[in-house]
Amino acid sequence: MSVTEEIRNRLEQAFRPTLLEVVDDSERHRGHAGYREGGESHFNVTIRAAAFAGMSRIERHRAVHAALGKDLVGRIHALALDIGA
Amino acid sequence: MTDMKDRIRETIEGNDVVLYMKGTKTMPQCGFSSRVAGVLNYMGVEYQDVNVLADEEIRQGIKEFSDWPTIPQLYVKGEFVGGCDIVTEMTLSGELDELFDKKGVAYSKEAAEKIREANA
Repeated sequence: MSVTEEIRNRLEQAFRPTLLEVVDDSERHRGHAGYREGGESHFNVTIRAAAFAGMSRIERHRAVHAALGKDLVGRIHALALDIGA
Repeated sequence: MTDMKDRIRETIEGNDVVLYMKGTKTMPQCGFSSRVAGVLNYMGVEYQDVNVLADEEIRQGIKEFSDWPTIPQLYVKGEFVGGCDIVTEMTLSGELDELFDKKGVAYSKEAAEKIREANA
């Protein structure tokens, strides 16, 4: 399974989002620190789910980090998150 | 780790605003760190930069301390504010101004408005 699919699966299961976009943005970072041949190092995630209502910004980010898991987060060089209810 | 935690606590309690970042405020070495440092520089905020690339122990230590897996990390008056996404969102929404007002941190309101105008 690609990292993109793995991110998508874990977030779908955890939050049942109404909107979920997982974009591998690695190419834009070619030559920068953390870039790997084949991509899958830099991701932009946009997610909307009712589960985030009432959470602070930090809580939302922590919830996403927790759903992805330490192992997966550790393998990603950069993760830009746009989280909303 | 206890020593590390003490060191981090000393830094964030001894400085009103601290940015844990890759590189330095004058020479950031990562786009995300650069963005946050850029906002603080532009808004004329006085802050302590800590280059995690210069110290692997701090790089791991701050992630555990904040329970936050990524760099940069912004602290204001000892309180964790967030990383690049959160600081960017708060800058554009005006929440960062409110936080600085509340915590008594000096910054240029005019510069903050200019950032918002440019990103409107």
